[in-house]
Amino acid sequence: MKLYKKEGNIVQILSFPNENVEKGDYLLIEDADAGKALIAQVIDVQFANIPGILEELLRGLPDGGELIQGEDFDPLEIAPHITYIQDASLLICKIRATAENENLSPSSSWLPSRSQSTIRKLPIPMLLKLARVDGKLPIQLGATKDASPLTIDASALDGKLNIITGKKETGKSHLSKLLISSLVGYKATVIVFDLNGEYLSLGMTADGKRNAYYDKIHVLTPSQNFRISLKQLNLHVLLDILIHALHLPGTSAREFRRIWQSLKERDMLNMHELGEAIRNWHCNQHVKDALFSRYYALVNSGFFTDNVAEATLLEECLLKAKEQGGAIIINLRNTSMIDRQIVVEYLLGKLVELLTSWKLKAVFLFAEEAHLYLRETYWDDIVTRMRHFGIFTTFITNQPDTIRENIYRQADNIFLFNFTNEHDLEVVSRAARVDAETVKSIAKDLPPHHCLVLGKVVKDFPMVVKVKALDVKTMGETRLFFTDTN
Amino acid sequence: METALPQRLIQLSLQSLKNVQNNNIQLNQQTIQQGIHATQFLQPIPLKPKQEPTIVAAVDTSSIKIGETSTGILIAIRGANIWKQNRSYRYIRLGPFILHITEENKKEVYNTLQNALNPSSENHQNPPNIQQMPTRLASLLERWLQKMLSKTLNNSLILFDGSLTSGTPDTPTKTMKEILETARKRENTVLAFSKMTNLRLNGHIITEILPNHKPPYMIEAVGLRAKPPIVLFGDIYIAKLSKANYAFRLDIDKETPIAQRIEAVERLLGNDLLAQGYPETLRLAHILCTFTANEVIAMQHFITRKCGVKIINRPDMHRLLFGVFGKGEGNP
Repeated sequence: MKLYKKEGNIVQILSFPNENVEKGDYLLIEDADAGKALIAQVIDVQFANIPGILEELLRGLPDGGELIQGEDFDPLEIAPHITYIQDASLLICKIRATAENENLSPSSSWLPSRSQSTIRKLPIPMLLKLARVDGKLPIQLGATKDASPLTIDASALDGKLNIITGKKETGKSHLSKLLISSLVGYKATVIVFDLNGEYLSLGMTADGKRNAYYDKIHVLTPSQNFRISLKQLNLHVLLDILIHALHLPGTSAREFRRIWQSLKERDMLNMHELGEAIRNWHCNQHVKDALFSRYYALVNSGFFTDNVAEATLLEECLLKAKEQGGAIIINLRNTSMIDRQIVVEYLLGKLVELLTSWKLKAVFLFAEEAHLYLRETYWDDIVTRMRHFGIFTTFITNQPDTIRENIYRQADNIFLFNFTNEHDLEVVSRAARVDAETVKSIAKDLPPHHCLVLGKVVKDFPMVVKVKALDVKTMGETRLFFTDTN
Repeated sequence: METALPQRLIQLSLQSLKNVQNNNIQLNQQTIQQGIHATQFLQPIPLKPKQEPTIVAAVDTSSIKIGETSTGILIAIRGANIWKQNRSYRYIRLGPFILHITEENKKEVYNTLQNALNPSSENHQNPPNIQQMPTRLASLLERWLQKMLSKTLNNSLILFDGSLTSGTPDTPTKTMKEILETARKRENTVLAFSKMTNLRLNGHIITEILPNHKPPYMIEAVGLRAKPPIVLFGDIYIAKLSKANYAFRLDIDKETPIAQRIEAVERLLGNDLLAQGYPETLRLAHILCTFTANEVIAMQHFITRKCGVKIINRPDMHRLLFGVFGKGEGNP
């Protein structure tokens, strides 16, 4: 390999066919005299612009488009040299760091010698060692292209905002499950908003047996084993549900507040008494109708119960998880949009309450397709206020444009699977932790189950990893028409 | 101040430019060869394509200087025979042969190749200067390839690149005579196409003063007198073989009967493609042996690897001395 050009933080390297370099590989450009080396990542592989190549290709096809037949007497065997030159490639590389005395700095301000520098592939284990991608809480994500394991540290997810994105069936949920089970393994509390019921069997092996996490996976299905009583609720949480999920107007909300205060003073906070109170409340008929319609929405969701004993599971699970680690899977499958919003509003409010009172230390929240249940104002809340309370969110989506731009800008880690759509890549490339060229070039060519890891977990050295297989029972499979009936 | 010379120059310039008005000018003008002039054209001979299956074969060679050493030059030569049979083209390509020519070995190299071409001949020519060696060696290879074709084909058309003029250092009379005789014995017809010609009629290049006649046709240029030692082995025609606005000098073996000459060109029309009036077989021969820039790099790569030669860029004295005002040695 030979250093050809450097423009800004892009270097172009001439590579020959036997050198076998691919997109995503890291190269070490060592200048022995300067005592420094550039670490650059290949973001594109192009044909080298060889002079006369067009003539040569045309020469091969002069006979009406068919190859002209003939014999070459090439006594000196020059032909392999011609092929060697013809197949030379140009590696477009992004400078990631400068290595000097085994220390890395993000500088790319110096120029290595074009004639004297040596260029070689930098094995990922060596890069990980140089970049000090290690820690006491290892999570093995999978293997890199050179079959070396890629291990991140769980603490690099702690207090961080993460995004897992990629098109359908590329392995997003698989990676989420891997992260969740690893975090649970380190006794973390994890909450999953499971839209399609994919995480319900996280505690089961592929052949249906219990795995090591079985006792730590708690599946809560709203209106079945997950119900709440009004007594557990703070007024502001219920008002959030009424205003944001059920769109209760401000005037009606004020009346509701009075009704609530009245019931609370009389220690009669339950659904039955709430209905009665609305019925007997002296107020404008339109306000009463508005309150009634919301009341019935709450009743019909099946999420509310007057039996306090039925409404203790969430806290029990959270406290259990606090002790020994655990994942609480909120099963939102078969739940209507409004009910989903009710559940999520309640849960987030409850988490803030528990975290504020230090009943919980911190939770890792995995939110699948969050735009389907998260109200507009929560996005900023999640990345700012809630993060300070100790809710560390991982968004999982196959529609990257449903996540707001400021979320990408503030994301600490991005796990990017394949995207072919330019628009999708454009959205993801707004992330602050990586340059647009890397995202657009590498993500396009990622095979299924391969993920481009960006951000703090890899110390800002983007790496392609094949996510390791997980012995977990697959759920949430799409129902098919053409299935084998035999 | 003495201004006579500049004034004369201006006068001469204005005077000569008057003669150019309304004429076409050609970039990269060829040097005007004073040797051969035609006195007149005969009537155009209309041509009709003859579909009778005939092998059309062509020869071309190429040479290139790929570097200089402290004692000489590194050159490469390559040649190709190509033929069209049953509507498809086939080729045999020889080379590239890479040679290091020095003052010490040039005689040996040149004589060896001459011996290979004409083993019976004892009157070998002296080698040219080093700079002319690439073209001279390519010519030797070309004659050999022509000889091979004339010996192996029967009742075919053999196309040469250039003319049937001999007596030049490139084309010894004896060699050309032998090639044509062998071809004739095997009932082959040799047609030599020149892409460029210096032949003039009344001061004009002969391919540019054609009568208004519907192609394909050819016209014989007569009254040609070649100054010794130049010998013309062919009669010279101007051939306009397609509607494209190009005509080429065509030399046909003098010993070939007139009717056979016309039939040969008509068989060429019926058996080969003539895009822009030039035979495709000959065009392919040229394409196959020409060196591309990539091939030159590959040969330099080969030499570096095989011979341990280090390629260096000699300082360009023009650039060195005159900076941005120096044109560089490649473009003096």
